[in-house]
Amino acid sequence: MSREMITLENVTRVYNQGRPNEVRPVDEVSLDIGHGEILVLKGPSGSGKTSLLALIGCMIRPTSGRILVAGRDVAKLPERFLTGVRRDTFGFVFQQLHLIPGISVLENVMLPLYPLEIGFTAAKRRALELIEQLGLAHRKGFKVEALSGGERQRVAIARALINAPQAILADEPTAHLDAGLSGELMQIFETLRGQGKTVVIATHDPLVHDSPLIDRVATMRDGRILDGDG
Amino acid sequence: MKYHILFGLLSAELGLLATLHLQSAPSAERLQSELADKRALVSKLGLTDLALWTEARYTRHPSQADRFAAFQDFPSSIEHFPAGSIIAPPEPLRMPVEAGSAPSRHRAP
Amino acid sequence: MGSYHLGRHLKILEFALSSMLRRRTKNLGLVLVFAALVFLLSSIVFLTGALRTEALATLEASPQLLVQRAMAGRHALIPLDYGELIARLPGVGSVTPRYWGYYYDIYTGANYTLLGIGDQGLESPGSTPLRLVEGSFIMPGQRRVCLIGEGVARVRGTRIGGMVSLRDARGWMQEYEVIGLFASPSRLLTNDLILLPEADLKAHFGMPDDRATDLMVEVYNPHEVDNISRKILERLPDARPISHAEIQRTYETLFNWRGGLLLAMFLGAMAAFMILAWDKATGLSADERREIGILKAIGWETSDILELKLWEGAALALVAFLAGVTAGYAHVQRFGSELLMPVLEGWSTLFPAIDLAPQLDPYALGVLFSLTVVPYIVATVVPSWKAAITDPDRVMRAS
Ligand SMILES: Nc1ncnc2c1ncn2[C@@H]1O[C@H](COP(=O)(O)OP(=O)(O)O)[C@@H](O)[C@H]1O
Ligand SMILES: [Mg+2]
Repeated sequence: MSREMITLENVTRVYNQGRPNEVRPVDEVSLDIGHGEILVLKGPSGSGKTSLLALIGCMIRPTSGRILVAGRDVAKLPERFLTGVRRDTFGFVFQQLHLIPGISVLENVMLPLYPLEIGFTAAKRRALELIEQLGLAHRKGFKVEALSGGERQRVAIARALINAPQAILADEPTAHLDAGLSGELMQIFETLRGQGKTVVIATHDPLVHDSPLIDRVATMRDGRILDGDG
Repeated sequence: MKYHILFGLLSAELGLLATLHLQSAPSAERLQSELADKRALVSKLGLTDLALWTEARYTRHPSQADRFAAFQDFPSSIEHFPAGSIIAPPEPLRMPVEAGSAPSRHRAP
Repeated sequence: MGSYHLGRHLKILEFALSSMLRRRTKNLGLVLVFAALVFLLSSIVFLTGALRTEALATLEASPQLLVQRAMAGRHALIPLDYGELIARLPGVGSVTPRYWGYYYDIYTGANYTLLGIGDQGLESPGSTPLRLVEGSFIMPGQRRVCLIGEGVARVRGTRIGGMVSLRDARGWMQEYEVIGLFASPSRLLTNDLILLPEADLKAHFGMPDDRATDLMVEVYNPHEVDNISRKILERLPDARPISHAEIQRTYETLFNWRGGLLLAMFLGAMAAFMILAWDKATGLSADERREIGILKAIGWETSDILELKLWEGAALALVAFLAGVTAGYAHVQRFGSELLMPVLEGWSTLFPAIDLAPQLDPYALGVLFSLTVVPYIVATVVPSWKAAITDPDRVMRAS
């Protein structure tokens, strides 16, 4: 039993195995992620950051190796349980945000709670709290396409937080933000860390990986982790 | 809540249907007495069919149409009458009559 | 736990509705097309159901057994001798000849049914006063008078006291005074009828004295009808008995689910509906596919997504189905099935107005439901299922 929150042991993910177009976006990666830290996965485009994030967040299974979430090997869990672990443990902020247009900010934030056994009023109350925390209270009834880039980013974060996850996984979160907004975003992440949450950010933006607010950087190249603590 | 609107809409539709249906109820009594009168007429005049389509013998009196009506207006012939596409050909054409049995159109089992 | 569970389904339903409201025009269009088809189908179901009920109920009183004669494959006049022979069969009561025929009226282009009524019929015991006759009925021995149906009165522009002139078998015009009208409630039975004294009818058609159109046979025991039919056929091979049960069955098949009127009109509408469902089943838009991916990625399970699509399909289909059925009901009840009339009427010059109370037949509505709502929901859920079983990480790369 590790004290770490998430542990990866020799995790490899192979696509098109045995065929000429075989790729290994993640190759023999071992990594420990502790509670309440901000970890940045840095590396050029195509180095495997997104794939590693998907592995950490139980979106995909490793081809080989073990992934322990709270000490439990999730690599071989059946689909339903994996979805359960993912839902309870992680909140995702996707690179493209993937908010659903045409419905309100509030509904977008509540969306992950819909299939759960929680009453509508309770779900709404929780969503409103988060919206407030992220400074979007005046936008709660707006359709997401009417929001600015920074506001949308915060809606995506609120949605990622609605399940009260222990870890937030963010993929290139500053890609569409200017320097000022990127700074604000880092502040948000720091606040989350203050609440005891783990934050893993995949990025190649220097504003993020050179920020003084982060705890640790792992540099990736061709699916491997170069330095940091493998 | 939008589902309240949905349920409201569905109930309204059901309510409307029920109202329409209930509105034909008071006339049921009248219909019942009319039915007795109609039956008296049918029995007095010896009527056998509804006077719906008057264009051909087999459409005016489907129950009296002879077994050869379909030869006069063969099912796959070019239709003379629109109603001909609505009325099925007489049953003997669909149910072969056994030799020697009563050529009654519908024999009791 | 129960209420929590309900909450879960209601939330998914809530999102399904939000989701549908975003594609307002498209979904409204679908509801309208769906409702229009159900309207058409249910109008047909209600109308044929009402017609069947009416036919079976009123023709309940039709003769127990009729005997016609077939000659050279056609209906021919039957000798009255046959009647005497039939009357001698055990179990047979009275045998009454019927005199009737058709008349094509060149002035109006309409076909009338001419029916004679003899003194025997006029004086038949136990006959109640005919309340569906306006004016007076034919008296025994009365000649050159007639009663006419509503349709005849309309195309001829005649009323009680007027005259109806008909060209007889010799080519002479004969005039008959209209002494009575068959009242509107009876029009489904009497619309094209001209009732004449039997002697006038025979003279009009030039029928030989020893012949009738057919014979009405009274059978004491209704269970014996088939038996007596068989005996008649043994003695009179060219006779053609038609039992009361056969008349009823004719109308049952004519207005039944699988054949006749209903099927003919149904098929077209069903085909249109299938095209609608097919289009739906094959056309999952890129947007919809993307949304399913997003839901999958934020923790919805495949079954949750299927439930979402089920609600979407069910909400639309139910709203449209009920709207269609209600409109169809009103159409038949209030508006005399006006939109179906051109199809139903065909070239009939004398088609009666149909003013019948529709019935809510659970069987017919159930069939209609399973032919429309069920395939539509299936067509909504199945294509989403394919999209919903893809890996959630696809979203991380999709632009
Ligand atoms: N499902 C897949 N099938 C095939 N190749 C993939 C798949 N997912 C990722 N890759 C490949 O893996 C490599 C790493 O991609 P990715 O993890 O997105 O890197 P990054 O996020 O650092 O840009 C890329 O070359 C990409 O084409
Ligand atoms: Mg990436």
